[in-house]
Amino acid sequence: MSLDHFSKYFDRNLVTHTLVQDLKADRALRERLRSDEAGVLDQYELTGPERQAIENRDFRRLYTLGVHPYSLGQLSRLIFGTVEGAGSSEASSALVDSLTE
Amino acid sequence: MAEIGFAGAAAHSPGLTGWFDKAGTESQRAVKDAYERLGDTIRDARLDLLVMVANDHILNYNPADYPDFVVGTGAEHTGPAEWFKAWLDLDEYRMPGRPDTASTLYEHLSGNGLRVMESDKLEFDDNISVPVTLTGFKSMGIALVPLIQNCTVPPVPDQRRCYAFGQQLARVIRNELPTDLRIGLFGSGGLSHEPGGPRYLEIDDEFDRWYLDLLVEGNHERVLREVTLERMEQAGAGGTAELLAWTVVMGAIGEKPCEALCYEAVPDWRCGVGAVNWSV
Repeated sequence: MSLDHFSKYFDRNLVTHTLVQDLKADRALRERLRSDEAGVLDQYELTGPERQAIENRDFRRLYTLGVHPYSLGQLSRLIFGTVEGAGSSEASSALVDSLTE
Repeated sequence: MAEIGFAGAAAHSPGLTGWFDKAGTESQRAVKDAYERLGDTIRDARLDLLVMVANDHILNYNPADYPDFVVGTGAEHTGPAEWFKAWLDLDEYRMPGRPDTASTLYEHLSGNGLRVMESDKLEFDDNISVPVTLTGFKSMGIALVPLIQNCTVPPVPDQRRCYAFGQQLARVIRNELPTDLRIGLFGSGGLSHEPGGPRYLEIDDEFDRWYLDLLVEGNHERVLREVTLERMEQAGAGGTAELLAWTVVMGAIGEKPCEALCYEAVPDWRCGVGAVNWSV
């Protein structure tokens, strides 16, 4: 998967990018994502496919919709937890499984 | 004219602070020794400030509106950004900045078809936090000028544009900064890895060793001809191109003797980990 490959999909204006930027910067928003994910997603003007893919943890779909891989990796950690401990952590494994299935 | 008193580069894998002990003891020792050697060389160089070039990782800017380079003009630099502390297993650090010099760099680096910005509010993740920790730089009391770059959001400035940017950086250091300043240059990033992609947990150690051999060989035209942005992407999309930070340093110093200090390919660390030091 090269930059050319990714560039075919990349959509810099996807609101998912803004969601990830905000979550990284705002602890309270991260805590709300855990307790009230739908409420947090309601705050963002996500397209139907974006929202559905986030709810389904479908990272491949988010990739083909045009989310940047870094934002995808961060979103997986925001959803599955940021404590790593291993390269095979739940977050990165879930992401890779989704991309390669 | 100010002078360049140090030039080095190293990977900033989050595993180096976050889960260092996932590697075997020999890999740990090789990396620890290499970064400590870089730290010793920085300390011995009696620098007034260190310019650290590193990928922004889409931390400070939304991909919707992304700059090519950002000069950090803050009077103080703190990190890691709050969300990254647990991941990196690091407490907060504080390093002095150098607003006057940073502003001069910003003024003279703008243009050239690249989108250059300045910011006194940059946040840092592994990009700055890992090398300043492993080299011990964060405790040296030496000023830092972060130079954050775009390695991943299309269109990415390619290897030749980054090399030319480094050449421009050297001209500004020589011609625009006070004569008594001693400046270090540190490229942070690489080697092969693919963050957030299907090869997230893979390393292309064949590419990495070839790349380090090319740097030691020292023919910059060959490096620019063969280590293209596309070739870096083949070795791990979205991550390997962080080596463009090393390219900026090479552009600034020109062809100088280069020593490879270590190379370790530990899958759990997420990327090939290497470090080099150029004799300047």
